[in-house]
Amino acid sequence: MKNVVTNEVTKEEAVLFGERKSLVGVVTDPMRVTGNPRAAVLLLNPGIVHRVGPGRIYVKIARALAAMGFVVLRFDFSGIGDSTVRHDNLCFEKSAVRETQEAMEFLKRSRGVEHFILVGGCSGALISLETACCDEQVLGAVLINYPATEDEDEDANTDLKRRRAAHYYWNFALFNLKSWRKLFTGRANYRQLTQVLRLQVKRRFASRSTMPAKETSFAANLRALAQRDVRLTFLCSQGDPLLDELQEAGGDELQRSCALGKVTLDVIPRSDHTFSSLDDHDRLLDVILRRISAMRLPGHGTADSSELVFPAEAVPLDNSAVGL
Amino acid sequence: MLICPPIGHEYVNCHRALRQLAVRLAEAGFPVLRFDYYGCGDSAGVSEEGRVSRWLEDISTAILDLRQRTGLAQTCVVGLRLGGALSAMIGSQRDDVESLVLWDPVVNGKSYLENLLSLQKEMLRFRPKPKRKHARDHIDVLGFPLSRFLRSELEKVDLLTVAEKPAKNILLIQSHEADDQCSLHGRLSRTEARLECQRLEAPQIWLPTADGGLLVPSQVLQSVVAWIGKTHS
Repeated sequence: MKNVVTNEVTKEEAVLFGERKSLVGVVTDPMRVTGNPRAAVLLLNPGIVHRVGPGRIYVKIARALAAMGFVVLRFDFSGIGDSTVRHDNLCFEKSAVRETQEAMEFLKRSRGVEHFILVGGCSGALISLETACCDEQVLGAVLINYPATEDEDEDANTDLKRRRAAHYYWNFALFNLKSWRKLFTGRANYRQLTQVLRLQVKRRFASRSTMPAKETSFAANLRALAQRDVRLTFLCSQGDPLLDELQEAGGDELQRSCALGKVTLDVIPRSDHTFSSLDDHDRLLDVILRRISAMRLPGHGTADSSELVFPAEAVPLDNSAVGL
Repeated sequence: MLICPPIGHEYVNCHRALRQLAVRLAEAGFPVLRFDYYGCGDSAGVSEEGRVSRWLEDISTAILDLRQRTGLAQTCVVGLRLGGALSAMIGSQRDDVESLVLWDPVVNGKSYLENLLSLQKEMLRFRPKPKRKHARDHIDVLGFPLSRFLRSELEKVDLLTVAEKPAKNILLIQSHEADDQCSLHGRLSRTEARLECQRLEAPQIWLPTADGGLLVPSQVLQSVVAWIGKTHS
């Protein structure tokens, strides 16, 4: 077994990096690059799922981006997947940002790349945004199902529970014959329905000044990144209540940034939080490739402006299993 | 020690536990190799290319690699779910597998496929139905494709028909009630292998959890490490 696997379009290498060489990742390189290296793409762990991502989607994304000419690193934060746990007292939010910067440093040294695009799902999206805010090497980020509100315990938080129920009613139950049948045959949860309607009215007329501090800092981050010309794409599953929460937390700033073209908000129809079907994968991959291609490198036009054009689909590699 | 993981969503759900197992075995003094089959995890190949026959070859390659790296002639294989079935199949084809840990192994491929399909159906109850752009020649199980060829190979998996003893020493771990596990116990006890069966109250870590958490069943890991330590001391 070896730690490098190649085919005619991409090359994959298992790597160890970081301050203590304790972070495990796989770099997917394009086989041929002409001119200056493009921006590298980093894929950050979605929650505690290791670097292959749910449904192995990170592997598909990495190979497809490498086939377009990008260097891609998917790696595990400390304590996730194959990376060892840290022995300091740094909280996850801080250590993950630091480790993302270590990953950028590693690619800078080993591949000569100077600009980075971060891609992450759920908590990976959170870390992507935090890193983009504090590191000027980041020129863009694709934030998948960004958790704009605190990760609250749904059982203990009735407001959150009702918001999620509202999302279900508006997006799915409203168009579902079975749900209407339940409503008219006395089998629906009328109490919950009333509470949800009351919540919707309350949210519509509530003053923005009552928004929690975290949500305000989210909007401030959007503003700061827009001023730095960092391109953000929010990708949301239609079936995920986080979409409503994102729009609420982003408020006017999100709308303004979208109108100015600094931020894009893409909704992947009929998908769930972890994109758990192959059709979801296709749609997600398509949007990610399009959005990353459109991100501009300083002084280089769009990121995919070179003459290399590869098919944007995962390609079979030739041989061998990767062992650790 | 060689660790053979499950496939598909079960592979993702079990990764954390199998890494922990590898760490514990290494701490106990055993060299351990974890690897991904072709078309799975970090390994080459796209998921659609998964084949039982190829995965069996991958296990043989891994055994060879482990022996070359360690210089040890004895091999112990730990297999979870389909990894258990594959390692038992490989063990029965060769005579150098000293010990085998079968952790909730898939016993019958047909039942395994039925369970996967009903899990997929169950998951679709709680999410919008995917709208197909075009027909696929494979079945989607939680984002992992099961090709027609793979399904036909899986249907032929039946540990109750394995002719030779898969290893000299076998530990069968059952963390949930299942008829086929009892039948497997009966089948293995009729071979010449030294068989130990442990019924442990542990979560079925390969199944998706409501909160997306990845479980590590400490008591199972302890049992595996203790049994391997005892068998290879």
